[in-house]
Amino acid sequence: MAASIGDRSVVSTTPVLEAREVSVHFGGVRAVEGVTLRLEPGLIHGIIGPNGSGKSTLIGAITRLTPLTRGQLLFDGEPYQGIRPSAMAGLGVARTFQTVRLLPDLNVRDNIQLGADAEASAKTRPRPGWYQRLRPSVSPAVADAIRRTGLEGWEDYYPSELSYGTQRRVEIARAISMNPRLLLLDEPTAGMNQSERAEISRLLRDLRDEGLCQLLVEHDVQMMLDTCDYVFAMNFGELIAEGTPADVVQNPLVQEAYLGRKGRQHA
Amino acid sequence: MIAFYDTNLVLIQATLSGLVLALAIQVPLRMGVFSFAGAGSYGIGAYLSAILVLRQGMPGPVAIAVAVLVAAVIGLLLGLLIFKLNGLYLAMATVAFDLIISVIAINGGDLTGASTGLYGVLTDFTTGQMFALTVLVVGLVALSERGRMRRRVDAVRDDPELAASLGINVRRYRLVAFVVSGALGGLAGGMNVMVRTAIGPLDIGFGLIVLALTMIVVGGSRSWKGAVIGAVIFTWLPDVLAVIGEWQELVYGVIVAVAAVFLPRGLYGVIVDLTKWLGRIRRKRRTGGAEQPVDAPESVEPERVELDNTLSREQGGEVARMAAQSEVS
Ligand SMILES: Nc1ncnc2c1ncn2[C@@H]1O[C@H](COP(=O)(O)OP(=O)(O)OP(=O)(O)O)[C@@H](O)[C@H]1O
Ligand SMILES: [Mg+2]
Repeated sequence: MAASIGDRSVVSTTPVLEAREVSVHFGGVRAVEGVTLRLEPGLIHGIIGPNGSGKSTLIGAITRLTPLTRGQLLFDGEPYQGIRPSAMAGLGVARTFQTVRLLPDLNVRDNIQLGADAEASAKTRPRPGWYQRLRPSVSPAVADAIRRTGLEGWEDYYPSELSYGTQRRVEIARAISMNPRLLLLDEPTAGMNQSERAEISRLLRDLRDEGLCQLLVEHDVQMMLDTCDYVFAMNFGELIAEGTPADVVQNPLVQEAYLGRKGRQHA
Repeated sequence: MIAFYDTNLVLIQATLSGLVLALAIQVPLRMGVFSFAGAGSYGIGAYLSAILVLRQGMPGPVAIAVAVLVAAVIGLLLGLLIFKLNGLYLAMATVAFDLIISVIAINGGDLTGASTGLYGVLTDFTTGQMFALTVLVVGLVALSERGRMRRRVDAVRDDPELAASLGINVRRYRLVAFVVSGALGGLAGGMNVMVRTAIGPLDIGFGLIVLALTMIVVGGSRSWKGAVIGAVIFTWLPDVLAVIGEWQELVYGVIVAVAAVFLPRGLYGVIVDLTKWLGRIRRKRRTGGAEQPVDAPESVEPERVELDNTLSREQGGEVARMAAQSEVS
């Protein structure tokens, strides 16, 4: 990846995150098999692949929620595969989940504040005093995340009162209020309409321009072409292609992964 | 006022120790830890502080402090042993712990007074001190229901995986639940034996779990306010119901069943729902009847992914079309 990617020239530096020969097996199921990838600073990386190809499992492995069967994980060049899942936030890794996971008893503001709470307790930053912890306060990071995701006016609502697309925006806001160094998004726009997707794509590109490294899983090919700088394609747990979005969607293996599966189903 | 206090002193004391016991069960539940170990800790607190007063001649408050500390440490050890269990299995293990404490009390010979228990625990610990300690403890629990602590406890209970991704050490929170439960249970037992001057095996049995759960279920399991409501109702209700004699148990049972079925978050939950509902109405009025604050585009429910497990042929075709397009550009 030392070459020029699209119109963004990439210098070979230490990747933010690196996975080496990572495998995750569930009993006999090889959900992820020998995946090696590098996430470079300041780029939006995408993963495409048919359903069940291991995209979410790979994100689970990277965030330590899913135990590795084999392989190595490095953050800033340091191996981290032994740490607790809860230590990932301290490294500056934020994620969203494929399903909406908001806390039903907290309103939008408090749900987002959970992300800023994590930032506040990260080891690299000064710890808040006990009085700050008890005071129900709104961090600037939360106000910022609310503004950037267009959630102004929704702060006092509870998740059950929101449309699906708005719930997803709250999830994105929670993740970015962590002020992360690496943002992992598992189908963040599933259930959104076209214009909402375009807004999220815009937001992610803005964050990239501010230097945030991202990994985005999406099924919407147009969105991936519009948003990503670099794309990985998976099938049956393995990486089958990587490169610029345009190159990857043209790749015969990728075409076959999408079309071939359907063909087999009909056979 | 004074007359009321004097004639109802026993009930006031029972309300206070019942409240702290209810909190000993409620705090872990609020963190998603199905532990009833607080009842066993009550036994530890009651017996240990009584023994310290009778055998060591300790002053009441000091005996209570020691008992709370010991109960908290035992809570921690129990937690380390079983915190990996979940749901029903965890509940059963903690009930077993409570039963073990009862068995020790009955078989403790002279030390625990066997089936008669211990009596004549006379100290200068007053009901006023009991009240002050209870207020202090309730205040501390109330603080854990505010701000950052509240959010994190909610996350640990409702979605441990999400909590971990937000940097919350779920294991540590679960252990803290055991320790706090131990300390609160020990305090409830210690205070009660000091003002009642006696403790026996029948006072610490399975009935304690039932009593505490009843208070929480009817009062409300998500807030200290629910515990207060429950403790007041179920300390005073039997007294009120005594008028109707033998039907007392039945009425009692019906109240609990109705609350469990129709008020899943207890009486306090009703208040919470009412405030939420009023807030919604106020917001609606502010936004002129529109349910949504901004001109938010209609969102569609998640269409395909979960149901149709492969991209359709059309979508596959889309990949090819994109490829062609990007070749052009
Ligand atoms: N906890 C688990 N236990 C057993 N098998 C699992 C588990 N999680 C995932 N799998 C299996 O691993 C494979 C990869 O699943 P994964 O969810 O990672 O796919 P995906 O690419 O995210 O799919 P989708 O596009 O539907 O989200 C699937 O065959 C799935 O059934
Ligand atoms: Mg997935």
